[in-house]
Amino acid sequence: MGELMGSSGTLRAELEAAMAGAGGPVDSADRLCHACVDLLGVDGAAISFVRHGVSQGTFGSSGELSRRWDEYQFTFGEGPCLDAVRQGRPVLARDLQDPEEVRWPAFADAMLSSGVRGVFAFPVRIAATRVGALDLFRRTPGAIEGEVRHGAGWASRLAALPMLELMSADVDWDVIGQGGGWTQLESLERVEVYQATGMVQVQLDVDAAEALIRLRGYAFAHDMTISDVAWAIVERRLSFKPDDFVNDLDAPRNHPL
Amino acid sequence: MIEAFVSLADSLVGPFDVVELLKDLTDECAQLLDVASAGLLLADTAGVLHVVAASSEQTRSLELFQLQRDEGPCLECYRTGVAVSIADLNEHAQRWPQFVPAARMRGFVSVHAVPMRIQDRVLGALGLFGNAVGSLNGEDLRLGQALAHVASVALITGNASADQAHVNQQLQIALDSRVYIEQAKGVIAEYLNVNMDEAFELLRRYSRDHNVKLTDVSQALATRTLSLELVAGSRQSSQPSQPPGS
Repeated sequence: MGELMGSSGTLRAELEAAMAGAGGPVDSADRLCHACVDLLGVDGAAISFVRHGVSQGTFGSSGELSRRWDEYQFTFGEGPCLDAVRQGRPVLARDLQDPEEVRWPAFADAMLSSGVRGVFAFPVRIAATRVGALDLFRRTPGAIEGEVRHGAGWASRLAALPMLELMSADVDWDVIGQGGGWTQLESLERVEVYQATGMVQVQLDVDAAEALIRLRGYAFAHDMTISDVAWAIVERRLSFKPDDFVNDLDAPRNHPL
Repeated sequence: MIEAFVSLADSLVGPFDVVELLKDLTDECAQLLDVASAGLLLADTAGVLHVVAASSEQTRSLELFQLQRDEGPCLECYRTGVAVSIADLNEHAQRWPQFVPAARMRGFVSVHAVPMRIQDRVLGALGLFGNAVGSLNGEDLRLGQALAHVASVALITGNASADQAHVNQQLQIALDSRVYIEQAKGVIAEYLNVNMDEAFELLRRYSRDHNVKLTDVSQALATRTLSLELVAGSRQSSQPSQPPGS
């Protein structure tokens, strides 16, 4: 098991630091997964992207094996990740070998033959819309608790950032890749941003996650903060029209999945 | 003082909304206690704190400031599970070098933070902010703590055993619903060309008329599973003087 950080504040900062300087969203997601393995005492980590209830595949991972573990869920159409996204809460399987663990028979069989005993899935949210999950894999049975549990929660929040990039068309990674992860997340968690997200949903007839992505894209393109853009929308100084966006944001571009 | 409990207790009968309840809690504290305003931090399942309610915008921003800078009396209260009482912030400028100037800038000079807890678990912290130097008198502090207890119990309502999974789920619902309500206000404001306060009134009216939780209506609107026309319709029906077709 990797060495655990002494204080949760440090762990929080370490996870963020691991993503700094990434070369793009996939690299950033991979780095976050590696940090989970290094800091949370798990044997593998992967981030899956699920949109409109349909799996889009594994997006970041700590390695080939973790990617394969993660993809079993999509092969079998069952698993903690899909449940976590569906239910909007962490789904934790401390021991797949436990006879009482009957939730995902096909998935559990495949994982056990691959040497995995514990799987822990945490939903990833953008604007309260669930867009995927962070999955942690462990070869030994047992619950994840305390610091590690907190760390996993933080990591699942940070995982929203590469997801946002993945879905964003008009945002330059070189600009945003540098910013602090927590600062970026906090800038999205503001009342005016939530309200503007609702308004843009109607203006463009899109869901909340896409509305937020467009607000953010506008902010980057015009060198404004997302809060500034949100206020402009809420005060009706700015309004988005469907014609402004020719691309379909549902289809991620330039980033292979 | 009794009224505060009656009002909180009343809101627990029938379908009640966690976010409204917590907002009421901060408003009651600001009115009843010898403080200028109140704010409430609640932890999510990962132990990450969020501002869920505040009686004023300044308090909201000061609570946010504590979260962003990772320092301040409310955070300390949450982490230790023990009330933190600061009669004069000026004496604590070294303890919280960033928080103290930020609080003073907003006109606050005293802070009292009481934990929200269920059994051994600390759920969050209620911050009481004053604009005059001085301790909160014992009775006010006890009342603040008692209101926080009532709200904590309300948060996990319906499950006497209060197992971890249930508490986690309730907390996540409370945190999500805060987002949904603001998004739904935006959806209505845009669609009906009304301001945010009017949008909130419409949400509230629809929720009462149809006996559905505010959170549920908001989520349905924010996730676009409820027709906007229905909520818009509740506006029309409440204006009987307007002839149809006008």
